[in-house]
Amino acid sequence: MQEGLHLEELGEIPFDEKEILRYAMLPSFAPKPEELPLQECLKAAKGAAQCRAVWRRYPLVRDGNTLDLGFAKTDSRDLRQHLEGCDEILLFACTAGAETDRRIARAKLLSPARGLLMHAIGAQQVEGGCDRLCARLAQQFPDRQLTDRFSPGYGDLTLEMQRDVMAALDCGRTVGITLTDSLLMTPSKSVTAIIGMKEREGA
Amino acid sequence: MSFRELLNKGPFFLDGGMGTLLQAEGLKPGEAPETWNLTHPDKITAIHRAYYEAGTNMVATNTFGVHPQRYDRDTCEKMIRAAVACAEQARKEADCSHEMFIGMDIGPCGKLLKPLGPLDFEEAVSGFAEVIRIGASCGVDCIFLETMNDGAETRAALLAAKENCDLPVLVSNAYGADGKLMTGGSPESVAAMLEGLGADAVGVNCSLGPDALAPIVERYLAAASVPVLMKPNAGLPQEKDGKTFYNVLPDAFSAQIAALVPKGLRIMGGCCGTTPDYIAALKKAAGCLVPPPVEKKNHTVIASRGTVIELGKDPVIIGERINPTGKKRLRKALEDGDMAYVLNEAITQEERGAEVLDVNVGTPGVDEPALLTQAVQELQAVTDLPLQLDTADAAAMERALRAYNGKAMINSVNGKQEVMDAVFPLVQKYGGVLVALTLDEDGIPATAEGRLAIAERILEEATKYGIESKDILFDTLTMTVSADGTAAQTTLDALKLIREKTGCGTVLGVSNVSFGLPEREVLGSAFLTMALERGLSAAIMNPLSDRMMGAMISFRTLTGRDENCGAYIRFAGELPAMQAVAPAAAAAAGPKETGAKGLRRAVVKGLCREAGILAREALENGQDGLELVKNEIIPALDEVGQGFEAKRLFLPQLMMSAEAAEAAFREIKAKTAGQAEGQGSKGRVVIATVKGDIHDIGKNIVRLLLENYGFEVTDLGKDVAPETVLEAVERLHAPVCGLSALMTTTVPAMAETVALLHERTPWCRVMVGGAVLTEEYAKEIHADGYGRDAMAAVRLAEKFMEEKACGD
Repeated sequence: MQEGLHLEELGEIPFDEKEILRYAMLPSFAPKPEELPLQECLKAAKGAAQCRAVWRRYPLVRDGNTLDLGFAKTDSRDLRQHLEGCDEILLFACTAGAETDRRIARAKLLSPARGLLMHAIGAQQVEGGCDRLCARLAQQFPDRQLTDRFSPGYGDLTLEMQRDVMAALDCGRTVGITLTDSLLMTPSKSVTAIIGMKEREGA
Repeated sequence: MSFRELLNKGPFFLDGGMGTLLQAEGLKPGEAPETWNLTHPDKITAIHRAYYEAGTNMVATNTFGVHPQRYDRDTCEKMIRAAVACAEQARKEADCSHEMFIGMDIGPCGKLLKPLGPLDFEEAVSGFAEVIRIGASCGVDCIFLETMNDGAETRAALLAAKENCDLPVLVSNAYGADGKLMTGGSPESVAAMLEGLGADAVGVNCSLGPDALAPIVERYLAAASVPVLMKPNAGLPQEKDGKTFYNVLPDAFSAQIAALVPKGLRIMGGCCGTTPDYIAALKKAAGCLVPPPVEKKNHTVIASRGTVIELGKDPVIIGERINPTGKKRLRKALEDGDMAYVLNEAITQEERGAEVLDVNVGTPGVDEPALLTQAVQELQAVTDLPLQLDTADAAAMERALRAYNGKAMINSVNGKQEVMDAVFPLVQKYGGVLVALTLDEDGIPATAEGRLAIAERILEEATKYGIESKDILFDTLTMTVSADGTAAQTTLDALKLIREKTGCGTVLGVSNVSFGLPEREVLGSAFLTMALERGLSAAIMNPLSDRMMGAMISFRTLTGRDENCGAYIRFAGELPAMQAVAPAAAAAAGPKETGAKGLRRAVVKGLCREAGILAREALENGQDGLELVKNEIIPALDEVGQGFEAKRLFLPQLMMSAEAAEAAFREIKAKTAGQAEGQGSKGRVVIATVKGDIHDIGKNIVRLLLENYGFEVTDLGKDVAPETVLEAVERLHAPVCGLSALMTTTVPAMAETVALLHERTPWCRVMVGGAVLTEEYAKEIHADGYGRDAMAAVRLAEKFMEEKACGD
């Protein structure tokens, strides 16, 4: 494995029904529709997600309006704002794995509503995986302040950067994520993101 | 000694890590190691030489990442030639007395194969073929496929090697800590598949240290009949003072590997974090050990991506329902290319206890090779049951066998010379367990002895192709008892005789015995029990039949195969539930809300089962189907649609109502049996997710709603090329087309499709939708309309149709 890469097995992520319904486009203020086959879908999704992640730490160098992220350079204004005050970044990729995609495909066949729910469950699982990873990273760097996650494709940060991310983290080998020609990740329930690190403010 | 002989003898030493050493020499993170073949050949040569001198018998060329998916052909060729030259130079320079070979290293191509990823299987094969031909022309001694974490891709690479050179092929997969490949393969399923395709050695590398990989290696040793290899990491990477190091040192590393040699491990080396020191230590620890001979396993196994089934132990249930013979609905689905129907049949059978699925899509007018291949690929995306490929068309069999991820059951060969000449070469090349029918040019012998004679001839012929008898199951042919009173007895006698005389397993399609008689399952289940008693290995049967399943499960229970009668009790417990589904559901809907009014409420509330039952009841009470649609279902849908548009109801609710409406429509259609077909249709809509985009949740919702509102929808699926959309719109003369795109990167494909449709099918109005689209964006790419959500798409389609009606 390449120098500086860290692998994280994130274990089983508990289901969060509220989050799942939110990913299924049900706003949090709406009452929970009883006819939804959510419990059946949760049962069918059990054990599918195997969240794994790989991450790496890079120094952050500014050159005028250009950010040198260590693995790529960018002029993105939104990322510049996001990383204000930071002198390092953490780059990570996290995936819920191929089995999740298979369960989604299966649920979609049974009914579109199940497909939607299973898709939402997958999203909650990989996001839950990212949350767990970020908690670990915060522990690992107790004297640093970490920003939120910022992904290629957000704001004016181009999706093209995904190619650099895949190479930097050796994603195919480390966590099994690859890109399609249109820059989609497979397995589909995968996330890549940049986290900024800076001196802790105040205390 | 030849390379293959040395492999079989063992211990045979491979090399260790390359990347780790290159980084120490200055390779930057993210820089591709294979570029160094051209820029720093001396450094690559020095590393190979150090490995040879540490005791390595075969170094792997520095070509892990060289693949046409990453580089153009010329670059691939330059890199491979340079890489092999480095290894040859090292072999020349190395001062060693042991045998030194060069293996061409091939890693994953960097794209996931269909259906989970974008890469077509045959495209993957031809990519690997390209680099393998170059490597073979450079004079390497073997092909080394390594770090493969997807079974389908491994299959593509091995097939490419077998088809493009005569070199030995070593295949090494990368497993996770859970003992599975990234896409779900297990050591047993992978070993069965690779042996079938003719791998010379199989095993594992990367991901984990030797202790964590040991249990996986032991599973390989128990399953494989070819030499097993192991190339672990030096434990797990850890970081100290900004430096990465691995936590297992050479002595512990080599001791852990050497401990596996007495168990049969014979090919060994290291992966990430290992250096020539590790290989030297390994040679010292294992060099004098003698592994036991490679043991031929006498298992009859079939495998899917991750499931292995052994035939000849417990009787196996093969689901028979994916076969259009006598099934009108399935035949229509196949003619229409309605794969969802086929996949649903598969899931239903799996849920009811099928362990293998027969797949037969042969029906007049379809392109069987293409359709069988598509069915196999799509089935494997949603079920992990092993498949039995069932076709008499050799071309269809070959294409499907290539694409099948695993070791298939092949149905079938028989004693006709012509058929044997066509089928045996396929089994020889692709592996598989073959179903052999005991008939020949003279038909089906009337006696058990006659069928045995054919079986023996088939076995003799199979030997010529190197096909072992363990990979053949005989089908002694179930005949209809109503046509000949002794038919069943002859079949059963032949079953027993062949089993005893040849030792081979047996299979029967049991349903045929009762053809033409009433209450067929009564007779069929008794026949099944009799066949099982005579040693039947697998029954091709209907798993949806409680009686047939009852006979199978009872047999298992009565022959001591069902611990504490658990399976029987579970089966018995589910019986009343299956039989009583309808009344229970009707009761749940409430006594006061039967009939049409209840139906309307059930659709609004999204209660699928109730909607179906209430629609059926209303029809049985003499209500007119079309009246029900007009007066109950459509108003219900409108109510929900308006709620959705006013943001009182949300997407999941909209979808549940749409599904409930669909359930009611199904009942109405069944009742009116085609007479309503076409009637009331608002027109044809072709929909698709555009090329490059694999999101289809939104598109599926649009399809469902359009169907609810009376449109005939042709759904082309996801990742659809502009030409394919054009072809469908032209062929169907569709007045409306809906396109979906979720990603900024796929909007250009959408724009291209819109332009193509406007140019070639000017009559067709194109509406677009999807997460990244806006009204403005839709205008920019010249779409005729923008659907903010699924309801908006329905309104748009209605508007287009109205305008068209006015215009005409």
